[in-house]
Amino acid sequence: MRRHIPSVILLLVLLVGWEAIVRLAGVSSLVVPAPSAVFVVLWDGLVTGFLWQHIWITGAETLLGFALGCVIGFICGVVLGEIEPLRRLLWPYVLATQVVPKLALGPIFIIWFGFGMTSTVVITALICFFPLLENTMTGLQAATPEKRDLFRMLGARRWQTLLRLKIPSGLPVIMAGVRVAIVLALVGAVVGEFIGSSKGLGASIIAAQGMMDSTLMFALFIVITAMGLLFYQITLVFERWLLRGWLKGKVS
Amino acid sequence: MSTDDAFFSVNGVSYAYADGTEVLSAIDWHIPAGAFHCLVGRSGCGKTTLLKLAAGLLQPTKGQVQIEGHMVHGPSPKVGFVFQTPALLEWLPVIDNVLLPISLHRRVLADDRETARGLLDLVGIADLAGRYPGQLSGGQQSRAALARALVASPPALLMDEPFAALDAITREELQDDLLRLVSLRQTTVLFVTHDIAEAVYLGDRVAVMDRGRIALAASVELPRPRNTNSRYDQQFTAQCQHIRAAMARPVAEAA
Repeated sequence: MRRHIPSVILLLVLLVGWEAIVRLAGVSSLVVPAPSAVFVVLWDGLVTGFLWQHIWITGAETLLGFALGCVIGFICGVVLGEIEPLRRLLWPYVLATQVVPKLALGPIFIIWFGFGMTSTVVITALICFFPLLENTMTGLQAATPEKRDLFRMLGARRWQTLLRLKIPSGLPVIMAGVRVAIVLALVGAVVGEFIGSSKGLGASIIAAQGMMDSTLMFALFIVITAMGLLFYQITLVFERWLLRGWLKGKVS
Repeated sequence: MSTDDAFFSVNGVSYAYADGTEVLSAIDWHIPAGAFHCLVGRSGCGKTTLLKLAAGLLQPTKGQVQIEGHMVHGPSPKVGFVFQTPALLEWLPVIDNVLLPISLHRRVLADDRETARGLLDLVGIADLAGRYPGQLSGGQQSRAALARALVASPPALLMDEPFAALDAITREELQDDLLRLVSLRQTTVLFVTHDIAEAVYLGDRVAVMDRGRIALAASVELPRPRNTNSRYDQQFTAQCQHIRAAMARPVAEAA
């Protein structure tokens, strides 16, 4: 905890400086609102429950899209990683679909899935898919040739080698993909709401823009940042638990 | 030596890479059950390839390998393999690493855990059973790998320079542990090394390999059990010199 103290002091100094500049220079709250005004709006939004409904929706979209994208990305990664001919056949297409900006697909998703949560979840899942796919494919190659020979010597079947050697060996790489995905998921959900939804934190930002309410927009930025940090930390804790065997080795 | 009672029989075996480069040419070698044979040679002489052929990890391009009179087509459950690196699974505690050869085929029973603990005790790391591989030293990892190779009680062990990365004292300790374990279980061993002294200390018979051929085969006339004193014995030194000379000769010709 102690090593965080300087960071907290820096934050306080910046906030006080910001407040002072806005007040002394008389900057319009439309351009840059004072931190105190942002906190009032934030507090009101949390107390009245106005913000919570949007937090739940964006949170649900993020986690659903993340879960969907990770599971499908992982499964496709395993299939493509294990079946070489299929990988050669499909890789150019996988790559092409990833180069397409997912948000550019937003309008067509709105036609397919309607205006609302489903479109945003699909966009988020698509964004999470690729880091998992790529890291799973890379991770499956991580087992050393000696360990593969060991499993052959022990008469392991192919699925045993996959489940008990290749996937565990690749887990650190796969988890790095999960960490990338959770951050992208929130971005995907918020930006997805810009185009495809009337509820959630992203949609609220657009609504606040329509009302020229910069103070509310700043309050929403804070909420989104806090959610991102929370999701990332939870992922990190899960990763540490999952990789405890590796980490224990590194401590000593 | 009669070839009938051999555990391993290598008959006229050649091996070439896909591009046609020959790594082994017309090797004949027989290891009687319970014997300890060593293969020495420089890097790239083909000794690891021969070991992998004996293991069934590779198939010979010519000739055949037999285990107890049966053709080898693939890895056999009768053979344990110890690799150059310990190759332990980092995500499993030592005891589960040792039990891997069993847990891949059936549920691990209390008896198996007893066996594994007994082996860890014999290699001197019983107190580390619950640790993860990353928490062990190189020597301790090699001990765990040895225990894993023996847990399913294979009648034969193939070993590929398993102690090469260890310091001299740890290596000597592990050599003694190995000799003790295999004589206890009458295990047939083929041990590959580039260390002449190691080969002479461990083996009943030593083969020198050079560019895919066996350049010399010599029986080691040292009484067992061998101990630290044997390493400074005159006979020991003479054996080493004999083998050293065989290893040096072909290279001088090539130069």
